Amino acid sequence: MSVKMRIGLLFSGALFLVAIAAWIYQLQEGLILTNLQNSYSWGLYISGLAFFVGNAAGGLVLTSSIYLFGVKKLKPLAKLGALTAFANVTAAMLIVLPDIGKPIRLYNMLLHPNWMSPLVWDVIVLNLYALASALYLYILLLPELTGRLAWLAIKVDDPQAFSERWAKRFAPVALVFAIGIHVVTSWIFSTQGARDWWFSPVMAPDFVSVAIAVGTTVVLLAAALAYGTGDSYQEAYRTLGLIIFMATCVHIFLMANDLVIHAWYGNTEAHRIMEIAWGNFGLAHLFEVAAPLFGAWLLMRPQVLSSLPRLLLSSGLLIAGVFVHRFLIMPAAYNNIPMTMTPFGLPDSHWSLPIASGRFLPGMSTFIDQYGYFPSLVEIVILLGIMAYAVFLILLAIARLPILSKERI
Amino acid sequence: MKMGMVIDLEKCIGCRSCMVACKQHNAQPPQTWWNRVFTPGSHRHLTPPAKGVEFFLPVHCQHCENAPCEKVCPVGATYHAEDGAVLIDYERCIGCRYCMSACPYGVRQFNWEDPAKAHQRSEYQEQYHYGYPEDHRHEGRLVYMPLRPKGIVEKCTFCAQYRDKGELPACVRGCPGKARFVGDLDDPASEVSTMMKGRNAFTLLPEKGTKPTVFYLPPKAKEV
Repeated sequence: MSVKMRIGLLFSGALFLVAIAAWIYQLQEGLILTNLQNSYSWGLYISGLAFFVGNAAGGLVLTSSIYLFGVKKLKPLAKLGALTAFANVTAAMLIVLPDIGKPIRLYNMLLHPNWMSPLVWDVIVLNLYALASALYLYILLLPELTGRLAWLAIKVDDPQAFSERWAKRFAPVALVFAIGIHVVTSWIFSTQGARDWWFSPVMAPDFVSVAIAVGTTVVLLAAALAYGTGDSYQEAYRTLGLIIFMATCVHIFLMANDLVIHAWYGNTEAHRIMEIAWGNFGLAHLFEVAAPLFGAWLLMRPQVLSSLPRLLLSSGLLIAGVFVHRFLIMPAAYNNIPMTMTPFGLPDSHWSLPIASGRFLPGMSTFIDQYGYFPSLVEIVILLGIMAYAVFLILLAIARLPILSKERI
Repeated sequence: MKMGMVIDLEKCIGCRSCMVACKQHNAQPPQTWWNRVFTPGSHRHLTPPAKGVEFFLPVHCQHCENAPCEKVCPVGATYHAEDGAVLIDYERCIGCRYCMSACPYGVRQFNWEDPAKAHQRSEYQEQYHYGYPEDHRHEGRLVYMPLRPKGIVEKCTFCAQYRDKGELPACVRGCPGKARFVGDLDDPASEVSTMMKGRNAFTLLPEKGTKPTVFYLPPKAKEV
């Protein structure tokens, strides 16, 4: 194990442990340790869910490219794709736990599932996708499970042929779950008629396009760190860069399309949404558009793909932009109180009914219709810790399992 | 039997007695209010808006027939009781707060911390307890506790603990203007049904398709 690897494992492992400690503290004190309150009931944790679910798409992109579209040059990256998918989809499930007020009662999901709830569907597809990614990774690893790792291998006559055959058969199944996690996660929001900001059929295709962009970026980033930016990898990286750019363009198009429709109709609810999305969060909105677009554009340049620092910066820019995009799921939904009315005799006026905050907020009224949410330290530490978990898992797998192909492309 | 409520806005004087009765009888923790009364169009309650008509609007759970909160609840903790009231099972709720996003009326309240700690934080007198003193089960499910566990969601139950004893909800009993009525919406001869017929009864946010069972009778136009 190299020194860099040891440092990486130590640092990410320690950060994950700190997050677990923060969660235990939050379990004792309650969600009062977050900066959420009744009128703004979901924040960084649920944005984190959407973020990690998107990151998990790498497996989907590589599998479908290799086995459905026959892009053979990506084959050496298939294991990395399945690994980043597994790490991120399990991170997505982990980040939901600290958002739950009574996690000890989660068994009720098994005993009394409400089949109408998109949250139940999401738990099912996330688990299935995690299982599928793990199984898929195992199939790909099978031919190389020899020597020290031989005890892990199932007995088959020709592991190489077996692996090839089952990877091909398994690809379409994994693809269904992969698309499923993005679509169902978007439905958690877009089925909510109460929130005009979310209630849009464009959310599901947009989640898929963001995921293809950022998930592929995660694989590209992992591959560049693991293999470097040598000439033999440039063709594969260029393919990934092209996928990232196209998916980002589709995402920006879908988002802009949604905003235009909201803005054009021009009723009072839509005005309120625009005030928040383009006014209060104008700079953040600019960043969520410009950063992924610019990052993706850079990731198509040969000069960027052949230099590790440039590649890291560009993919970091794209991932940061998508993270801000996920954060912005919440403000325009929660700061636009659904219970609004035009009072009798005031046809031009638009009045929102304030909501009781449910917690003591110094210097603020109990009844709130506007709330500037910024995550608390506990929320930030827990989110960073779950990111560290994903990194730790990927590093550990690379150190212990034959994830990286030995032969050059 | 379909329980429903009619609130006559012509009779509402905006005194907020129903808010206080609701808060006290249901032992709501500090900063938690199941029932809110405001003056639409005005930033300050009981102050007429710059233009237009001054009237008062009490809002609590609308006990919707097509309740989004019930549909999103992953564990079926929010459910329709046999009489049409929407209740929360305090033993089953996992505290995911999905229902709070789904409810367009903003009536759902979360226990961000232990109520005893919330009392301290808000400097309530020590050993000061208020509200119906016992746990209450409706159809075997725990729908009321004087001290709520932290991490669960709560809201108006139409006072299940009193209705099961044949009494009216606290807000109905506490209204000095007698503006609130409960009864059977399925029975065309009931008080609530007959009241609604003559007076252009309306519901809140009908465009959301939630089918509330709380109806409002509009105030009469007044000279301002």
